[in-house]
Amino acid sequence: MAARKRASSDAAITATKRPSEAAADPQIAPSKAGQILTYSLFFLLPYLYLIFYHYSIESELRKSILINAAISFAGFFLTLAMIPVASLYVLKRNLFGYDINKKGTPQGSIKVPESLGIVVGIVFLILTILFQYFNFTADSNWLVEYNAALASICFMILLGFVDDVLDIPWRVKLLLPSVAALPLLMAYAGHTTIIIPKPLVPYVGLEILDLGWVYKLYMGLLAVFCTNSINIHAGLNGLEVGQTVVIASAILIHNVMQIGALTDPEYKQAHAFSIYLTQPLLATSLALLSFNWYPSSVFVGDTYTYFAGMTMAVVGILGHFSETLLLFFIPQVLNFLLSLPQLSGYIPCPRHRLPRFDPQTGLLTGTNDGTVVNLFLRQFGRMSEKSLCILLLVFQ
Amino acid sequence: REERGRERESAMAARKRASSDATTTAEATTLPSAAAADPQIAPSKAGRILRYSLIFLVPYLYLIFYHYSIESELKKWILINAAISFAGFFLTLAMIPVALRYVLKRNLFGYDINKKGTPQGSIKVPESLGIVVGIVFLVLTILFQYFHFTADSNWLVVYNAALASICFMILLGFVDDVLDIPWRVKLLLPSIAALPLLMAYAGHTTILIPKPLVPYVGLEILDLGWVYKLYMGLLAVFCTNSINIHAGLNGLEVSQTVVIASAILIHNVMQIGASTNPEHKQAHAFSVYLTQPLLATSLGLLSYNWYPSSVFVGDTYTYFAGMTMAVVGILGHFSETLLLFFIPQVLNFLLSLPQLSGYIPCPRHRLPRWAPIYSSGLFDPQTGLLTGTNDGTVVNLFLRQFGRMSEKSLCILLLVFQVMNHTCSLFSLKAAGFVYGTFEIHCPGLKL
Repeated sequence: MAARKRASSDAAITATKRPSEAAADPQIAPSKAGQILTYSLFFLLPYLYLIFYHYSIESELRKSILINAAISFAGFFLTLAMIPVASLYVLKRNLFGYDINKKGTPQGSIKVPESLGIVVGIVFLILTILFQYFNFTADSNWLVEYNAALASICFMILLGFVDDVLDIPWRVKLLLPSVAALPLLMAYAGHTTIIIPKPLVPYVGLEILDLGWVYKLYMGLLAVFCTNSINIHAGLNGLEVGQTVVIASAILIHNVMQIGALTDPEYKQAHAFSIYLTQPLLATSLALLSFNWYPSSVFVGDTYTYFAGMTMAVVGILGHFSETLLLFFIPQVLNFLLSLPQLSGYIPCPRHRLPRFDPQTGLLTGTNDGTVVNLFLRQFGRMSEKSLCILLLVFQ
Repeated sequence: REERGRERESAMAARKRASSDATTTAEATTLPSAAAADPQIAPSKAGRILRYSLIFLVPYLYLIFYHYSIESELKKWILINAAISFAGFFLTLAMIPVALRYVLKRNLFGYDINKKGTPQGSIKVPESLGIVVGIVFLVLTILFQYFHFTADSNWLVVYNAALASICFMILLGFVDDVLDIPWRVKLLLPSIAALPLLMAYAGHTTILIPKPLVPYVGLEILDLGWVYKLYMGLLAVFCTNSINIHAGLNGLEVSQTVVIASAILIHNVMQIGASTNPEHKQAHAFSVYLTQPLLATSLGLLSYNWYPSSVFVGDTYTYFAGMTMAVVGILGHFSETLLLFFIPQVLNFLLSLPQLSGYIPCPRHRLPRWAPIYSSGLFDPQTGLLTGTNDGTVVNLFLRQFGRMSEKSLCILLLVFQVMNHTCSLFSLKAAGFVYGTFEIHCPGLKL
């Protein structure tokens, strides 16, 4: 992902453009919204089927979920509209990068606007803030958690954007998500117990283990992990947003299944909570993907990966399904483990751990770096950036 | 540029990154080691600032400890919060020099237009250091929750909603500083940021009719309902933007905030001490818990921003400060008093209205950075004095009434004016007892 960093955005632009000229600046390519919406039906149809037919969900709850879905749908179009506008401002301020995986081709010299995650973040916040007004199943406990979640996610967007603008050193960056997660940890009033897998019960001596503050530590680390793991499983057009969309879809289906199958109202409420935050995440991300999918017209910046990672950590924690969330993150875990030797400095770590791009053939070749991207290239041979990204999403 | 020339931005815009769009090839590729050799900023004036803050601190502590008998529980929370805020002062002080290097590297700077023609007028002054204040403030207020064990869930909802609102405002302020959002959108931003607050606000939406007017209105208490929420949203827009336009002198934005925050704290303590209604006390305590960190971090920023400014604060700061004060005014249920404290800002807004609305031509100020800026008057490099123009701001008004003076003297004079306003306000609140009745009636059935 660092490949896309504003390495070139530090370069000087000699003239400040006048607004009329700015309109003549390279506009970004039209969105691929139609394509994206078509593909999202793959998820949407089973999802709606589950909500309406397969499970009988209380009508109050169902109504809240559908209102949230409608708000999210509006958010999709709002994000779609705002991204081209924001791109102009972002380019004016030299927040751009060059697409390294197209270096040597004409596309490799286009200035691609960065940090468009800020649009997604702001629209997401507006959607989720407004939804409170429409949620009929809210009680005061819910409101505390919801507002704490909003504060955490907002703080993370802020820190992500500050990082995109000021380029914070990586050691500090690791710490940021824990700071942003603090409102969440403060507000979390749920259980801090874990269930010991049955085969281990004789050894541990307990069926349920109360971790107390260690659980909160785990929650804080989960936030750090989710954000940074998405950040490093990147480097191809559309990979960061694509993986988030896939994971979010899985989260939603899991939530609906749990709501449908469980009888405990508290657990239902917890999973509904997750839905109320994940639907807007999915909708706004789809809009971003419409511009970010191969070939990328915009780059998403750390603003997006931090925001997405934090939101998913938040819903996993407050929805009480963080272990399941980690299951969904297995490709990211794998990527993290593969990256560990280089990130820790045990093996020398190059500036970019991206595959090599051959301008002649337009194909990527895997290097010996420890990432899932390179692993796939080494195992499955050279392939185009788009095919590789699709393959990785299929894996997800 | 033309488009931006029509913007009704503040004199603060004078400091905007006009030059930051310019090329700086050398700087852009500076290595970290060379960055250490970049122009360092002058040492902070922290010692002086702390000494002057004693003017406020001593009466404040006297009120808390001696004059009123406040429950020990409540006193404990206030003091814990004060200790955390105090630590925040030093944290802000430490982080500003660090942050400004990064800010300069990314070309977020401005030139001090009020020193144009002197050597100081060509120093690149880092902008948007309000981001440091904002982040430290958020960390402090988040951590404070951990210590406030006796919080019930009602209080936590409001507190988190406040945090979400303030955080959103800091985000939008910083996005504005970086991307330069058009002014029409900027007006809208605080209302958006205030939404979590409006959603969480479950208090009364009634206002008291002043006694002399009761026979005409026919009611003692008028329930405004959703209009009250509209008022709250507008208050947020007003507080943020009014601080933004009452600016243009070194240290003016931060110091006016410091003065108003001090007045808020004294008012809060007076209400806590004098009231017997526990909900009323809780509301004012809530305000204390957010205003103390605001004051402490702002003092940290003022140590670098006071004349002559080593850093500029950016819209990030003015939006953050304005929003925080609007938040405490709303959730502490003393928004009318808050407006009393904002009288100089109201005056400035009224004076600015003809030009802002376009009724009188608003001079171009988005000029090449060497041109005089309407709101800060004309600077004469020979004498070092500012002269007032005919523009509609309190800054120019004072210069026209009191004659030419240096930037520093003018800023101090404006602050004295602010302090006088607070003193009068606080005394008149006591006198207002006979008009409004006791403040207990102000919060019937308060459902916080």
